[in-house]
Amino acid sequence: MFDRDTGGARIELRALTKHYPGQPAPAVDHVDLDIPAGELVVFVGPSGCGKTTTMKMINRLVEPTSGEIRIGGEDVLSLHPDELRRHIGYAIQQVGLFPHQTIGQNIGLVPKLLGWSAARTAERVEELLTLVNLEPSAFHDRYPSQLSGGQQQRVGVARALAADPPVMLMDEPFGATDPITREHLQNEFVKLQKQLRKTIIFVTHDFEEAIKLGDRIAVLRERSHIAQYDTPANILAHPADDYVAGFIGQDATLKRLALLRVGDVECTQQRGSADMPQITSDASLREALDVMLAHGTDRCGSPSGVLTYGALCEAVGTEPASASEPTPASAARKEPVGAGPATALKEAVRR
Amino acid sequence: MNFSEYVVSRWDTLSLAAAEHALVVGIAIGVSTAVGIGIGLLTHDLPKVRGLSLAISAAILTVPSLALLTLLIPITGLGWGSTLVALTAYAFLPIIRNTVAGLRGVDAAMVEAGRGMGMGRARVLLKVRLPLAWPLILTGVRVATQMLIGIAAIAAYVDGPGLGTQIFEGLSRLGSVNALNATLAGTLGIVVIAVLFDLFFFAVRQLTIPRGLRVRP
Repeated sequence: MFDRDTGGARIELRALTKHYPGQPAPAVDHVDLDIPAGELVVFVGPSGCGKTTTMKMINRLVEPTSGEIRIGGEDVLSLHPDELRRHIGYAIQQVGLFPHQTIGQNIGLVPKLLGWSAARTAERVEELLTLVNLEPSAFHDRYPSQLSGGQQQRVGVARALAADPPVMLMDEPFGATDPITREHLQNEFVKLQKQLRKTIIFVTHDFEEAIKLGDRIAVLRERSHIAQYDTPANILAHPADDYVAGFIGQDATLKRLALLRVGDVECTQQRGSADMPQITSDASLREALDVMLAHGTDRCGSPSGVLTYGALCEAVGTEPASASEPTPASAARKEPVGAGPATALKEAVRR
Repeated sequence: MNFSEYVVSRWDTLSLAAAEHALVVGIAIGVSTAVGIGIGLLTHDLPKVRGLSLAISAAILTVPSLALLTLLIPITGLGWGSTLVALTAYAFLPIIRNTVAGLRGVDAAMVEAGRGMGMGRARVLLKVRLPLAWPLILTGVRVATQMLIGIAAIAAYVDGPGLGTQIFEGLSRLGSVNALNATLAGTLGIVVIAVLFDLFFFAVRQLTIPRGLRVRP
């Protein structure tokens, strides 16, 4: 099968269609999509747009009416569905851990179905618990009802990863957790995916989550038509149409700032003075802006030098504007001083 | 002769009747549990067949026990045969109904997770649905047992085994020697059997319900 290489396999969808009998319009209509190996692609769209149906056709929990699905070049529709699913990781919002089995048994389920030896399964379970930051000795023999929501979600991800599948399908896997836990899980997951480089299809209706996790985002409209398919930065900078722009919301520029790190921006060589607010180089530009606003200044110090408001604007490709005193982009290096830029900055944020 | 003297003097008869009572209920429950759970497993996902099996088992339960036993005489004769058939038939409704309700009540997310990981339908049924439905199924069997212990007494009318003979003999010659003692012995014997069966099911519950469903968070 396609999982000889566990590092991710290319997924191709060709004219993929699902038409439920007795309904006037297809739920998913002629979707064409290429998902490069090792990338995390987020399907984002409103409820009922067919994003989950599209995803479930890939592991054939929903049988396509017509069209073609290939994973690593292999025709998915010619494989036995159960056999196919054992080679695709699957995590869902409700997690769906089996309450009558221990955490260890839950995670070891797919390896057992694949006929791994008990020793190999046990070793893998141990490894996965460590990977999702759950102490194996403490959690292996506990039951799902004894775990918190966030811990259950982690076990859900570990279970999906159990047989080291090249492809993973995730349907809002962090959707049911509180905002703090969710952010924590997302951060962990980003780190994990950097390490694993699986091909992942991730379904969500939360655009923030899509930006945070996705290598690429497919913005879907009804019947799973693709409104735009591009990297988060490109979608934010150049939304294809009003629909996509509407989905991004009013703060596209702020969202783009969140994608960039302080360390990525060229800072002025000069060392900052001690009274300047400081920020770390792996903080996002959005956090840097927040620090500037909070201190009512247009610059802050970072380990690599002084970061100015002008540099921020340049990083997102706009010119720092000021009603009273226009500051050209090059002025970032000339260091505009005074209350003017700070006011402009507040205005820029207000816009 | 007071009650305790009666029990001591008739111990052989009484203990045999009690043992037969428990045995006939045990056999009937065994058969209807096996068949009932089987029917539940096969029909829980087929609305029409499921409805039919529930309707038939409910219809059986509406027939008065005395009428059913009498109707069975031409077919299975007097004694054990008719008693076993009637008791088995009465036990179906609670068992099938609880099996179906338990299997269908399993969280859809668990079924989806199982299917999504490559478990076939049969495997999901036996490894996920059945263990999760088990507490409810067991309750159905327990309810059916308590019901049968009572109905089994009426089997005395068709010369069936059990403590019913004591009760009805006593009642038919009430006022004469030992009539009250016989009725009391039969009734109390049935209560003791019911309590013993309940203890048995408590033990079965503790031994067979998966630990994960019993642990407290």
